[in-house]
Amino acid sequence: MRILVAEDDVQTAEFIKRGLEELGHRVIHVEAGNDALRLLLTGDFDVAVLDRMLPKTDGLSVLRRMRAAEVEIPVLILTALGRIKDRVDGLEAGADDYLVKPFAFSEFAARVNALGRRRPVQPETTRLDMFGLSLDLLKRQVERDGTSIALQNREFRILEELMREGGKVVTRTMLLERVWNYHFDPQTNIVETHISRLRTKLNFGGKPDLIETIRGVGYRVSEHG
Amino acid sequence: MGNWRSSTAYRIAFAYSAAVALGVILLGAAIFWAMHAAFTRQLDGIIMGEAQGLVTEYRMEGRTAFLEAIKEREASKSSTNLYYALFRSDGHRIAGNLQTSWPPLGRHDIKFLDVAEGPNDIDEARSFAVDLGSGERLVVAADREWIEQGDETVLTVFGVGLAAAIVIGGIGAVAFGSYLRSRLRSISAGAEAIIAGDLRERMPVGPRGDEFDQVAMTLNRMLDRIEGLLENLRQVSSDIAHDLRTPLTRLRNALERGLSDRDQSATVIEDALNRVDDVLSLFAAILRVAEVESGETRRFFAPVDLSALALELAESYAPAIQDGGRAFTSSIKPNLHVLGDAELISQAAINLIENAQRHTPSGTSIRLTAASSGKFATLEVVDNGPGVPNAELGRITKRFTRLEASRNTSGHGLGLSLADAVAKIHGGKLVLKDAAPGLAATIKLPFVPNPSK
Repeated sequence: MRILVAEDDVQTAEFIKRGLEELGHRVIHVEAGNDALRLLLTGDFDVAVLDRMLPKTDGLSVLRRMRAAEVEIPVLILTALGRIKDRVDGLEAGADDYLVKPFAFSEFAARVNALGRRRPVQPETTRLDMFGLSLDLLKRQVERDGTSIALQNREFRILEELMREGGKVVTRTMLLERVWNYHFDPQTNIVETHISRLRTKLNFGGKPDLIETIRGVGYRVSEHG
Repeated sequence: MGNWRSSTAYRIAFAYSAAVALGVILLGAAIFWAMHAAFTRQLDGIIMGEAQGLVTEYRMEGRTAFLEAIKEREASKSSTNLYYALFRSDGHRIAGNLQTSWPPLGRHDIKFLDVAEGPNDIDEARSFAVDLGSGERLVVAADREWIEQGDETVLTVFGVGLAAAIVIGGIGAVAFGSYLRSRLRSISAGAEAIIAGDLRERMPVGPRGDEFDQVAMTLNRMLDRIEGLLENLRQVSSDIAHDLRTPLTRLRNALERGLSDRDQSATVIEDALNRVDDVLSLFAAILRVAEVESGETRRFFAPVDLSALALELAESYAPAIQDGGRAFTSSIKPNLHVLGDAELISQAAINLIENAQRHTPSGTSIRLTAASSGKFATLEVVDNGPGVPNAELGRITKRFTRLEASRNTSGHGLGLSLADAVAKIHGGKLVLKDAAPGLAATIKLPFVPNPSK
């Protein structure tokens, strides 16, 4: 993917850039907000990563102006401000995702990947199929190899999020945000216990595990979990 | 507050008195002119009527009777002094005692010699002159003294009134001005005391509840808020100084050990990362408590279905609690609606649930109840574990309070502080009670006054 990174802290920028390049992405880095805006309005990017505080034009202004100019590239806002108000402001300005510094690179990479995949806006999907697992989003039914499985609401939502990412990693925090709508980190690992129940239900009759745990990062759907 | 010239209080008071005095003057002038005009009209009416009567006498009864009538009228002393004179066409007065020169026709102000007042007394009179047709001219005049007396009375009354208005107004202005200044001075003195450093100082509020008292009360509420925010800030700084030291020290120790034992570098780095994450989560918790206590999240308040929220919590936590070897039950009353921040309420309740889980042995039962109690919706977490000594119940909502018994369990002692802060900004409270055995922690939130759909 072509990724624009607007970040004025050179060390952070280098860290992000190197990490993303190792994952095979092309990264264009700028330090000032006005440069970011100019590139976003003219260039072709798959994802933009904007720091909230940028010299010249701050991140949220860049975001508002590019959205006003109907540039619909997915945007991830990076910020050192973690208050509820700041997150709401960011999302209201048109951000697709919001990540508070400091962050684990794996978390960051998973979110950038997730944003990039969304780009060709799919018509509202009603059915997800992977490795013999199929989810009917309208009827809220799950089948594995033709056998229907009864899932509790939250287990269904977790599986839906994992399958929507089509084999990409979904982090624990992403699941907390999307499934529970919690933007804080409970001490109890409720994600883990739900995943474990979900696994038990999916792997009936000794079928192979389809949910792979990426240690310290999150989960993904894979054929040989 | 400077001298009286720079005092708004005095300026307003004096300007007000001056306005009252000006009003008295304008009113006096208007009444003076109106009275004056009315008297003049009345006098004109009298002399014109008199002249009319005499002319009729002259026409009907003849010259002799006419002259007789003039004499008669002069003799009779009426209330208004009337004077008569008949002039020949050469200007010579042939009858009557009005000592004046040839008068012009119609109504006029003339001068005459008032012999009654003295030999040389020239008075003013209102006169009306008509020609009799024979070249003779009849003049009837009335002394203006009557009008002048009226004028004088009006002027005297208003003069006294004006003087009284100025004196009373002046005294009132000084009194009013000094009253205003003393009220403002007490507010100013309160502010000075605060500037001087004592933020607990408050403006004096009088018993009347007037405008000044209301301003003072508003200022006091503002000061309460500022004091609260400063206290909050002070608390955050001291929390950071106090409780970040320990994990940072451990981190430093771990890194130092890693430096001397290079074979273990991967383990050390992982350990260090975990410790950094601990510090960051503690940091986030401190800031979150401060954010909630500052009240700024109130602007995101929306109707919250507390029953649905509790049901979600029960569903999410039941598996984790059961996996941890404890029993979990829930009892949720439907249709409990409050106004607030669903995520904060969840976080507060999660803290209670996690506390119950963390500080109890396995085999403990934990129960989540959503119910109503009077004006409040309640979210209660009860366990039958070891509980908290009664003496400690009041203390454990304070930041970083960790009871001796739980020194070695995880957690940073902010869970109940957050739950308490969340309950408070929602206008409710956190109640901790001995459940004998165990602890009952209840978040009470006021119901929405008008439940919106």
